[in-house]
Amino acid sequence: MGEAIAISDLDKSYGDVQALDGLSLSVDDGEFFGLLGPNGAGKTTIINTLVGLVRADSGEASVFGYDVVEDYREVRDRIGLAPQEYNVDRFFPIREVLEHKAGYHGYGRETASSRAREALEIVGIAEKAEARFHQLSGGMKRRFMLARALVSGPELLILDEPTAGVDVQLRHDLWEIIEQMNDAGTTILLTTHYIEEAERLCDRVAIIDQGRNVEVSTPDELTERGTDTLDIGLADPPATAPAFDLPGVVEASMDGDRLLVTARGGSKLVPTVLRDLEADGYEVSDLDIRRASLEEVFVDLTRTEEVASS
Amino acid sequence: MSDPRETESQDEVETRSDGGILLGESVGASTQTDQKGGGLTGFQTLLRREILRFVRRPRNTFLPPMITNVLYFAVFGLVLGGRIDQIAGFDYIIFLLPGLIVLGTISNAFENASFSIFHGRWNEYIETVIISPLSNWMFVAAYIISSALRGIVVGTIIAVIGLVFVRLTDLTITVAEPLYLVAFMIVISVLFAALGIIGGLWAKDFDYLTVMNQFILRPLVFFGGVFYSLDVLPGLYRTLSLLNPMVYMVNGVRYGFLSYSDVDPTVALAVLTGFTAVVVLVDIWLFERGYGIID
Repeated sequence: MGEAIAISDLDKSYGDVQALDGLSLSVDDGEFFGLLGPNGAGKTTIINTLVGLVRADSGEASVFGYDVVEDYREVRDRIGLAPQEYNVDRFFPIREVLEHKAGYHGYGRETASSRAREALEIVGIAEKAEARFHQLSGGMKRRFMLARALVSGPELLILDEPTAGVDVQLRHDLWEIIEQMNDAGTTILLTTHYIEEAERLCDRVAIIDQGRNVEVSTPDELTERGTDTLDIGLADPPATAPAFDLPGVVEASMDGDRLLVTARGGSKLVPTVLRDLEADGYEVSDLDIRRASLEEVFVDLTRTEEVASS
Repeated sequence: MSDPRETESQDEVETRSDGGILLGESVGASTQTDQKGGGLTGFQTLLRREILRFVRRPRNTFLPPMITNVLYFAVFGLVLGGRIDQIAGFDYIIFLLPGLIVLGTISNAFENASFSIFHGRWNEYIETVIISPLSNWMFVAAYIISSALRGIVVGTIIAVIGLVFVRLTDLTITVAEPLYLVAFMIVISVLFAALGIIGGLWAKDFDYLTVMNQFILRPLVFFGGVFYSLDVLPGLYRTLSLLNPMVYMVNGVRYGFLSYSDVDPTVALAVLTGFTAVVVLVDIWLFERGYGIID
C-alpha cells in the first residue's frame, strides 16, 4: 500500500505564531485518517499546505508521491476539499458551481454537467440545483460543500470539520456518504472536533497540538492508553481510600461511600483490586467499570503537551 | 517528472471515467464515457465562468457605461459640441468619440479583472480555483481574456452610441486605419485587464477598487487628451502630458478612426505592447507567489 500523504518536518509561522512546528505525518493510500486537535493546533494549516493555500517555511509535503509545490497541478487534481468555512461562488446556481469545479479538473461540459447532477443527488439536494448557495439552509450548505469536494472524483478527500453545526440525522447522512467513498477506495483526511466522529470513522487518528504531531494511533489503541475508573461500592466504607501498591493504579479516592480507583487498563486490575480489598477486610457490594473515552485521552494528551511546553 | 503511480495509470483513468464509481459504488448512475478533456479544459471552464459572470449581469456591467456615454455624447456632442470650434480640423463630437471609447474600454477591462478577483478573495471562493489543477498562466490568461473582452464589448457599444449621435448631427465618421484601431483596442484592453489583476490582488477592501478607478484611472484618462488635443496646451503642460500613458492610448485609437494623432502611433503601439507584456508577466509572477491569496 502506497502513501497518500507524506509530510516531513513541516514548519510554518505567522509572525510570532508557530502554526506548524516540525510536523511529520504519513497517511496510507485508501486509509480513513483523522486529525484531532484543539483550536489553533495547526490542522487547517496542514490541509492548506497540501492544497497549496499555504506555503510552508520549510519541510516537505507530497500527495501520492507528488510534491505539493513542484507538482502542484498533479496534487490538486487528486484532491477534493470541503473546507470548514463556506467559500462558494455566489454568482452562479449551485449546479453551475459544481460544473465549474469539475471543468477545472478537466471534465468537458457534458460530463461536468452529469457529474454535477450526480453529486447533488448523492448529497440529497438535487431539487435545489438552480438555487444560489446563500439560498440554501444550513444543513444544505454542508451537504453542498461535500458535493463540491467529490464532484471531481478525488483520490484524496479532505474534510475540514464537515459536520460542524449540523443535526444528528444530517451528520449520519454525511458519514454514510464519506464511508461509501472510503469503501470505494478514496483516501479520507478528516479533521473534527467530534471525538465520536473520529472513533466511528477513522482507521487511525493523529492528535495534533501546537503545530506538532503528538500521537498517531488507532482510536482503540489510544483509548486503551486512557485511565479507566473502577467504581466500587463498599459495605462499610472507610473515611479515606485504602492504598493500592499496584502497577497502573493512578489514584484511589472516596466519593461518599464509593471507592474510586483510576488505573490504566483498569479492567485487567479488577481481580487484583478485589483480592486486595478483601484481604484488608472490606466487603465489596458492587462494582462498575467506566472505560476511558478517546475524548479523555485526547484531553490528557493535549494537556500534557501544554504542560511540557510551558 | 515521471508519474510515481504509472503502473496503475491506465486502469485508473478508466475507473475515474465512471462517475458512479468515483462518487460511491451504490450510486452508479453514470455510464457514459467521460474521459478528461486535457489541460486546456480547466482553462476554458474558468474563461467561460468569467465571461458568463459579466454577460449575465448586464445591468451592472453594460447598462452603466451605456447611460454614461449617452450623457457624454448628448452634452458634449449635441449641446456643447456645436459651440466648440473644430479640433485639428474635426468636429468636436468626431474628435471626442475615440477618447470616450478608450475611457469605457479600459475602465471596464480594469474593473472586471479587479472586481472578479477581489470579490473572489473577499468571499474566499477564489480558493476553489486556486486549489484546482490549472497552471498559473491559465489563471492569468482566463482573467485577462475575459476582462479584455468586456472592455472591447463596452468600447463597441460606446462606438455604436457615438455613431448614432454623429448621425444625429448630420456628420459621418469612418475607420481610417482599421488595423491600428484593432491593434490599439486589443493592447489597451489587455493592458488594463492585466493591471486589474494586480489591483484585485492588492486590494484590501472594496474602497481600494473605488480609489483605483476614481482617483487614478479617471484623472489620467481625463488629462490624457480625451476631450482636447495636446496642441491646445501651453508648452510645459504639453510636455507633462506626454508622461501620461493614456495620451498614447487615446491618440492611438483616435488615429485608428481619424488618421490623426498628437503622437507617433507606431511608436505608441510598440511601447504599449512592451508595457503590456511586462504587466502580464508580473501577473503570472504574482500568481506564482500566491500574492494576496496564499498565506
